[in-house]
Amino acid sequence: MIYSASFVWAQYKFNNPFHFVTMQGIFLLIGLILLYILSHIDYHLYYKYANIILFICAILLILVLIPGLGSVRNGSRSWFGIGPLGIQPSEFAKIGLIIYVAKYLTNNKKNMQSIIHGVFPILGVIGIFFLLIMLEPDFGTAMVITLTLVCLIFISGVQISFFLKVGLAGILGIVGIIIAAPYRVKRIVSFINPWSDPLGAGYQILQSLYAIGPGGLLGQGFFKSRQKYFYLPEPQTDFIFSIISEELGFLGVLIVTSLFLIIFYRGITISLKASDLFGKYLSFGLAFGLIIQASLNLMVVVGLIPVTGVTLPFLSYGGSSLLVSMASIGILLNISKNS
Amino acid sequence: MFFNDIHIRIRFVLLVVIIILILVIGKVFYIQVFSYNKLAKITEDLWSRKMTINAPRGDIVDRNGEILATSIVTTTIYVVPNQIKDKEKVSKDIAEILNCDYEDVYKYVSKKSSMEIIRKGMDLNSETADKIEKLGYDGVYLVVDSKRYYPYGEALSHIIGFVGSDNQGLSGLELTYDEYLKGTNGELKYYSDGKGNKLEIPDSYVAPSKGMTLELTLDIEIIKAVDNELKNAMDKYDSEHALSIVMNPKTGEILAMGSKPSFDPANYQNFSEEVINRNLPIWMTYEPGSTFKIITLASSIEEKTVDLFKDHFTDTGAINVDGSTIHCWKHGGHGNQTYLEVVENSCNPGFVSLGQKLGVNKLMSYIKKFGFGDKTGIDLNGEGNGILFKEEKMGPVELATTAFGQGISVTPIQQVAAVGAAINGGYLNTPYVVKSIIDDNSKSIVFANKQQVKRQVISPETSATVRFALESVVSNGSGKNAYIENYRVGGKTGTAQKVSDGKYMVGNYILSFIGFLPANDPEAIVYVAVDNPKGVTQYGGTVSAPIARNIMLSLIETLKIKEASGGMLKEYSYLDVRYYQLPDVVGMSKSEATKALKEFKVKYSGSGDKVVYMSPAPNTFQSVETTITLLLN
Repeated sequence: MIYSASFVWAQYKFNNPFHFVTMQGIFLLIGLILLYILSHIDYHLYYKYANIILFICAILLILVLIPGLGSVRNGSRSWFGIGPLGIQPSEFAKIGLIIYVAKYLTNNKKNMQSIIHGVFPILGVIGIFFLLIMLEPDFGTAMVITLTLVCLIFISGVQISFFLKVGLAGILGIVGIIIAAPYRVKRIVSFINPWSDPLGAGYQILQSLYAIGPGGLLGQGFFKSRQKYFYLPEPQTDFIFSIISEELGFLGVLIVTSLFLIIFYRGITISLKASDLFGKYLSFGLAFGLIIQASLNLMVVVGLIPVTGVTLPFLSYGGSSLLVSMASIGILLNISKNS
Repeated sequence: MFFNDIHIRIRFVLLVVIIILILVIGKVFYIQVFSYNKLAKITEDLWSRKMTINAPRGDIVDRNGEILATSIVTTTIYVVPNQIKDKEKVSKDIAEILNCDYEDVYKYVSKKSSMEIIRKGMDLNSETADKIEKLGYDGVYLVVDSKRYYPYGEALSHIIGFVGSDNQGLSGLELTYDEYLKGTNGELKYYSDGKGNKLEIPDSYVAPSKGMTLELTLDIEIIKAVDNELKNAMDKYDSEHALSIVMNPKTGEILAMGSKPSFDPANYQNFSEEVINRNLPIWMTYEPGSTFKIITLASSIEEKTVDLFKDHFTDTGAINVDGSTIHCWKHGGHGNQTYLEVVENSCNPGFVSLGQKLGVNKLMSYIKKFGFGDKTGIDLNGEGNGILFKEEKMGPVELATTAFGQGISVTPIQQVAAVGAAINGGYLNTPYVVKSIIDDNSKSIVFANKQQVKRQVISPETSATVRFALESVVSNGSGKNAYIENYRVGGKTGTAQKVSDGKYMVGNYILSFIGFLPANDPEAIVYVAVDNPKGVTQYGGTVSAPIARNIMLSLIETLKIKEASGGMLKEYSYLDVRYYQLPDVVGMSKSEATKALKEFKVKYSGSGDKVVYMSPAPNTFQSVETTITLLLN
């Protein structure tokens, strides 16, 4: 799928239609190895080293902000460029944070009933990371992480009323962030009425609709997308789902969506069956991290929410994203084994 | 217990996720099903680039299929700037072939647009197009176009009209029948990516379909003769206008129509709107003068108020009508005449008396029945109405002048239609120029025009008498200059003083002649009018009759009108070249033949004594100046 979506851009940018597919192949191979290794590492090890993992993540997130170390891609300083390979520390921070929060919730099982002693400290930690990622800035990843962790806290049994308050605060916060960066206002406007600026801010979403629309039940056929021919920018990343929809039609959409749901359902089953609390929290966090990212991406692509810049796990092009997704599955498999 | 709470919340999250995914699928379904048509159309436009291929306009042909207006194939260069890699080189090479400035090409090639037409690259001939094609550059497209071509230019410009720069009809038949002539444009569509590069998806090509063919009643040979004669009339007499109409009186088909000044349809921009918009033969209104007497004559015969052969009229040179004196054109008058002689002489007081015998009501009712005061309904734009006296305001003077064609105003086409009715057995036809419309694609006739009789105005017997009287006008009377030996020609001259600001202009006349042949069974009626000729006697007989005669000579040839016997012999004056009937001398001896041909010049060929062949053929009328060749055995 990545090949089909990307070869036009690859040809254009790197004069090699297989560029993206080769790169992704390498990452997939690494990812599979990683998955295999992680499925054999006892997840209780993460419990032990959660603080160190989080610390490394924090360091990386700070280092990436330093010009010269971190490189700017698509307007965000969120990459460590190593030759053609790029590593996004924010993706790894996602797992690091899930592990840390899972551990925190396990340790503070009783305190969690207290907002001040239980919830606020961990929210503080999350807030710091949120800010670090927002400095890059990478709004999408920050959103995914925050939503994942908040949801994790939610299932740990914190009073519902608190979430209503936090939800309100969160909305206010998001509004604040949006107002702070004018390009986000544009995105919102373009979301509400993409036709208002079809060549500017509304361009992506419109082009995405143009791709989905003519798909029909069975699509234009694999490789037959037209939107990928420079109409939809970088179709192999955020908007790969439009190309899937264009080429494979409604059926393809159903299959892809179902696959994500199955993965999530499997993850939740693991969580429900996990023998200890840390395993429960960790497996839920990892599964939810994947599904919330997928959901956000899908909702953007079909025009349900404004463009946020979230990739589709497993399917979008992106080394770090794929590695982290594979790693999540590896850890989930291990938790499943140990239950 | 604690786990239980967590599990409930986990299942709740699962539910939320499922709802979200259902929403996503629902939205995709909505987009693909409900917005499909709208989006499919937008994307089709987005992905494809269209090049319109103009349909060639249908031809306009004459009654024999001769082409009067056609479309010649030209080529136009389209460029898709994004597909052109080396813009400088492409521009340079194209500019060289087009023989224009580099900038004229480069400004289009370098434009940031999906498609451009190079202005200097329009209407190219096939030679130039081939050269461009040979360059084989990507992004340079040659699209076939067409350009209107009028092989007979000025001769037909008022009838056919012309087209604008986009081949849309702007005047004349090109405008009136634009819907039929324009055809359906085709389209070349190719698919491109977001950067304008061509994709490997097959182009879709919709071939243009040529417009329909308009077949006219005109005959180009007659048109050419008319145009030639009118040009001469303009040059020779330095006239203001000259116009002519040739119609088949039996059906109303217009065989030719022309006027000067005219304009070149290919360069219509260089001519004044007045020249372009005024199709004089149907637009111009003026006093008809004596040609109108045919109407008074026909009405009188039909009403039996006169017997042409028995009744007499004495012309003293003037007639007193209600205190006003109306003069005859001949000083001193024509003396005592039969009414047939009144017609031959075109005697004004004689016609006043005919009008008085009919009375206002009868005369006006016939004038209206003959179609005056109304448009004839010819299928051309810009026809005039003409002006008649109001019947209730007509006194004896108005009656008198109307009877010989003064004080009323008519169009040439009205006169032709009316005289046509007077000589064709009495039927007033609607004149027309469009014979049929043929769809070449389906080979079907979309529209076929046919004769439309408005009404019968006079009886066939009356009509026969009118023909006889008008034939004698040409043989013995004022129309002598239109006489053609061996053919039967009828006709009537007209000399009308022009009116300006309600007053007659001095020395400014429209000289006309209306004639027809063969006089016993007319196949064509010819009208000629010359406005304000200079340096010539101001009589229709001297200016317009010879022009009409020349046109009729070409009609004889084109319509293959047979020589006729039984016609009236021309009454000769001393100045006229005499004509005699050529006796048949074949079979005679040389001396007998010479004797028989004493009136003519004779040339012998061969050395025998017996005539075996003679040229021209025997029994025809020949002038004394004709050399008769005899072949001896």
